[in-house]
Amino acid sequence: MKRYFANTHFKRLMSSVAAMAILELMTGPPGSALDPTAGFTGSFGEASSFFGLFRTQRWVVFLFIAFIMFGLWTSWLTWGAQVKTATTKAMSVPRSVSHKQPVRWGVTLVLLVVALLLPHLITDPFWQAAMVEQIAVYVLLALGLNVVVGFAGLLDLGFVAFYAIGAYTTAWVTGALPTAAPFGIHFNNFYAIPIAIGLAMGAGIILGAPTLRLRGDYLAIVTLGFGEIITIFANNLYGITGGSQGTKTIPHFSLHVGPVKYLWGLTPVPYYYLTIVFVILFLIGFRLLEHSRVGRAWTAIREDEVAAESVGINPLKYKVMAFAIGASTAGFAGVVTASQSNTIFPSSFTLQFSINILVLVIFGGMGSITGVVLGAIVIQTGSMYLLHTPPAGYQPQDLYIYLGALLVVMMIFRPAGLVPSRRRHREIGLAEAGEGHMDEVLTGDTP
Amino acid sequence: MSDTIFDVDRITLRFGGVVSLNDVTLHQNRGEILAVIGPNGAGKTSLFNSLTGVYQPQEGTITFVGSDGKPMNVIGKKAHRVSTAGVARTFQASRMFSALTAFENIKIGAESHRGIGVLGAMLRGPATRRDEHTSDERTVQLLDFVGLRAKANVISSSLSYGDRRRLEIARGLATSPQVLLLDEPAAGTNPSEKLELTALIRKVRDEMGVSILLIEHDMKLVMSLAERLYVLNFGSVIAEGTPEEIRANDKVIEAYLGSTASETGDRS
Repeated sequence: MKRYFANTHFKRLMSSVAAMAILELMTGPPGSALDPTAGFTGSFGEASSFFGLFRTQRWVVFLFIAFIMFGLWTSWLTWGAQVKTATTKAMSVPRSVSHKQPVRWGVTLVLLVVALLLPHLITDPFWQAAMVEQIAVYVLLALGLNVVVGFAGLLDLGFVAFYAIGAYTTAWVTGALPTAAPFGIHFNNFYAIPIAIGLAMGAGIILGAPTLRLRGDYLAIVTLGFGEIITIFANNLYGITGGSQGTKTIPHFSLHVGPVKYLWGLTPVPYYYLTIVFVILFLIGFRLLEHSRVGRAWTAIREDEVAAESVGINPLKYKVMAFAIGASTAGFAGVVTASQSNTIFPSSFTLQFSINILVLVIFGGMGSITGVVLGAIVIQTGSMYLLHTPPAGYQPQDLYIYLGALLVVMMIFRPAGLVPSRRRHREIGLAEAGEGHMDEVLTGDTP
Repeated sequence: MSDTIFDVDRITLRFGGVVSLNDVTLHQNRGEILAVIGPNGAGKTSLFNSLTGVYQPQEGTITFVGSDGKPMNVIGKKAHRVSTAGVARTFQASRMFSALTAFENIKIGAESHRGIGVLGAMLRGPATRRDEHTSDERTVQLLDFVGLRAKANVISSSLSYGDRRRLEIARGLATSPQVLLLDEPAAGTNPSEKLELTALIRKVRDEMGVSILLIEHDMKLVMSLAERLYVLNFGSVIAEGTPEEIRANDKVIEAYLGSTASETGDRS
């Protein structure tokens, strides 16, 4: 047997078959308490159509795909290098163009116009709602977490806490909670924006100042605990938060300035525009921040904290700042969600939520604004598509199997993310070569 | 010339039961090139770390006199505070921001002493732009000064060893220090790089008026560069003086070349 595995072709073939067997199990039917092995036997033995040609069983189809995969793999090893050089050669021309300033502005302008026209191009109510609740808000959250994880290199597993603070602040300010609104006045949602941002930022600073001295794993555990604390508070402080029932009476955004009277909420589209405006503002702000001395200081701390300190950078101050900026973004996202859905429940603020956002950031490319936005759009659109038009045999809870698999594949072939940040890309390359100090997020320890 | 820049008075640094520095007293005059030598494990780098706020000695005082003439006690201050006060350093194994270019490395040093200004950075107002321009100019100046202008946009981890050393010096100088602490600047460099480095260190002192405190194993370099030396052994200062005096000192020779069998027996 060992002799066979010494043969690289055989090894490749077996790997292909194994990968397809896993995929087969992933996409197969679930088991049940009565028949626990049904998931296994069904995954392989269920009747299936061979690409519409003839009836057979699932394993035949997947074995066929495994052979194709083996063939592609082998040919990639043989001709891959040539293909790669050919594509880089072909891509080199557009790349030199894409770095020109007017071209970049042009692309940005086109994307902006597309973003603004999108609700008129897509009129399906499901997608219009998804665009706000599941995509635009998640883009915002991913942008915020990217400042913490991508720029400053801090692993935050309690990001949901700040989102919850934003949402509950909205409910409080607008008088939707059992506890009295501030000064007994039911404020308009617009007032909730600065208050929620301020409170989330304050919570970020209060949590960050003592804990950001911790490194890597320790920080992750503290933030994780904080996220859980906020959820438990929301659940148990019945008289203040409404307990597990939450609240269902948060008003929509409304605007009353002189003769102008406008109420959001009749359709998702106005919310889309409201959110997009803020996404664009955050995008511009973070982009400038990344290329400012604050951004460089973050990079310095991420790469070598001791060296950063030796040139006069106060790491704690910059880390707390990153934390507060991330928190305030999440706080704002909380305002939008709470106002748009009119309801909040503690059960929607879970660890799973924090991890979801982290997945968007890692998938898109930590530290890359373009990557993170694209990552959020791709993953959220994908999961919404699966929810809206599920393929045969797909159950909503299967989503995480696919997301997990996607991340594994991503980490093997594109560890720096979909659109890697140039600096991050270099850091990962250097760390793989055993040089330089990679930050805690990826290695778990720092010198 | 004779006013003090560093005054280390009887510091003792312990790590649990291990005494790393024992009753060390050291004095550096402004504008002086001072060297600390000693065998491996003598406590040289611990001394540097104590001087820059990385370690906190349990006993004694370290006084640093900045450009304003006010003495500052280094012990109890964080490393970044000490740096801001005017103490720059390099590291034994050079610690660059390895994924950044040479230019960016120096620029981080040049701008780190300014306030944070998140809003300024996000709005990119005229004051921010002016600051940025000043740091850029300073960075280019320093790249010229250390002779790395042509390699400004090279990623620092792909620079040669000698270039990295020079880049680290430039990064330290970017913080506008009063004194520059160099931890084995010549380690791992070839003979011609060593000569260039010696000239550069002297130029830093002569043209920028920055005092130099250096740790070095290469005796040729130390003896040609330093005006005065301290010799550390087992955490204590065993000698102090000009290169000529040190060369002739019996204790130093013993520490470096080992002692006769009977004396070694005494020590243990």
